[in-house]
Amino acid sequence: MQLIVENYILFGNGLAWTFGLAVLTLVFATVISLFVGIMSITRNRLLTVAARIYVEVFRDIPLLVSLFFIYFGAPLIGLPLDPFSAAVVTLSLWGGANGAEIVRGGFNAIPEHQRTSAAALGLKPWQIYWYVIAPQALLPIIPPFTGLFTLLVQSTSLAALIGVPELFRMAQIVVERTTIMEGYSPAFTIFGAILVVYYLISAALNALTSRLERAMQHRLKARGAADMGSVRRQAEESV
Amino acid sequence: MTACASNRAVPLIAAEGLTKCFAKHTALRAVSLSVARGEVVAVIGPSGSGKSTLIRCLNGLLVPDAGTIRIDGAPVDMRQQRAWRAVRLRVGMVFQDCSLFPHLSVLQNITLAPVRTGRMRREQAAETARNLLARVQLADKADAYPAQLSGGQLQRVAIVRALAMAPEALLLDEPTSALDPEMIAEVLDVLRTLSREGMTMVIVTHEIGFAREAASRVIFMDQAEIVEQGAADAVLTAPREARTRTFLDKIL
Ligand SMILES: Nc1ncnc2c1ncn2[C@@H]1O[C@H](COP(=O)(O)OP(=O)(O)O)[C@@H](O)[C@H]1O
Ligand SMILES: [Mg+2]
Repeated sequence: MQLIVENYILFGNGLAWTFGLAVLTLVFATVISLFVGIMSITRNRLLTVAARIYVEVFRDIPLLVSLFFIYFGAPLIGLPLDPFSAAVVTLSLWGGANGAEIVRGGFNAIPEHQRTSAAALGLKPWQIYWYVIAPQALLPIIPPFTGLFTLLVQSTSLAALIGVPELFRMAQIVVERTTIMEGYSPAFTIFGAILVVYYLISAALNALTSRLERAMQHRLKARGAADMGSVRRQAEESV
Repeated sequence: MTACASNRAVPLIAAEGLTKCFAKHTALRAVSLSVARGEVVAVIGPSGSGKSTLIRCLNGLLVPDAGTIRIDGAPVDMRQQRAWRAVRLRVGMVFQDCSLFPHLSVLQNITLAPVRTGRMRREQAAETARNLLARVQLADKADAYPAQLSGGQLQRVAIVRALAMAPEALLLDEPTSALDPEMIAEVLDVLRTLSREGMTMVIVTHEIGFAREAASRVIFMDQAEIVEQGAADAVLTAPREARTRTFLDKIL
């Protein structure tokens, strides 16, 4: 406990880096998810194939390998990235690939006759998506999306391995320094404390999710929409 | 309306040589069909004979591979989605499966298209919708959501949704086939009223009794072609073609 208090500046800084990483990553990952997810449901073959390749590449390679590849590979193509940027780029791309699959699942779960009957009313394609398809597709994917968010927040700790001074890296530094200077290892205590912090962040995010989910279910129940559950299941299966 | 009344000879919908293939399967083979204003055309035939394909080709939900379509004498440029949208504003459609939007209330389902296509202002559309709902005995369901309605009620709302666009004709693809028997009557009643009021309709149906009494013309389709057509009584009571007879014997 004393160690944490003594090193509060270090830990505070670490936490700030972690939050920075998390917030930027969540924003970029969401934007990429929507963009690529919608790309993959268009009828343009070029767009769908491009989306497919991107999603498969990032989902099939371990996150850590992608992180190293981007951090050490970027300078080779004349684009040196500092550790923080490399981490944001990698986590966003990885989150975007997984999020795109959730978005695609949400859209695919909407029966074809919804599009057809909207078209039969003389609506334009963008109106069909905006007023008819998107509202039905996006509400049920909020819960699986928040699951992805939690995963992303936890994955920010991987950034320690390329030297981002975030929370986990700070903990490593304090443990190493104390071991050398004081002659004993506080690893258990320090990492225990870190574990609690990550747990609290995730728990807060989850609490937010279930609130959102309850509010949503309440709204859907008020509307008596029975088949939303299946949309959500399908969206979750695609993760 | 006045322009067309002056030229009754021009059919409202005139399709010539419509052909539609899926992969190597031909679902529609050079079918021609002409529908005059106020006419009610019933399309009957076995499952898979191309009935749905035919009426979906009439408003571009399926784009025909060959043939021409004229609406009120004006040819439709079939490669242009914009041209098809113009057709759909004039020719409404009702489907077999409940195709209402589950996230919108009954009223919103009905007013969405009139408002978004710029036909009506929101208040005007809502008023039209409420009047039409009252006509199908659903005035009290304006704020309900589709999941709260029975199949027959859903289908009546779907008809009202199409009517709210003030179409000149309606295409209906088996509007009662997915309904429980006790609900079929309430939907057919609405269609009968529409036909009496002079609404032009092309209706795919297995309700032979309804076709006999409400349709001015019956078309029998089999294997991607129109086999026989004529006055309802003639085709249904004394069919000329053996295939029509076989089909009628089977379903009656
Ligand atoms: N989207 C499609 N893709 C492939 N084949 C289709 C499609 N739609 C219809 N068909 C085929 O075209 C034929 C006619 O179908 P349809 O017009 O739906 O018949 P009906 O409405 O008379 O039952 C059937 O053999 C059907 O399998
Ligand atoms: Mg059919």
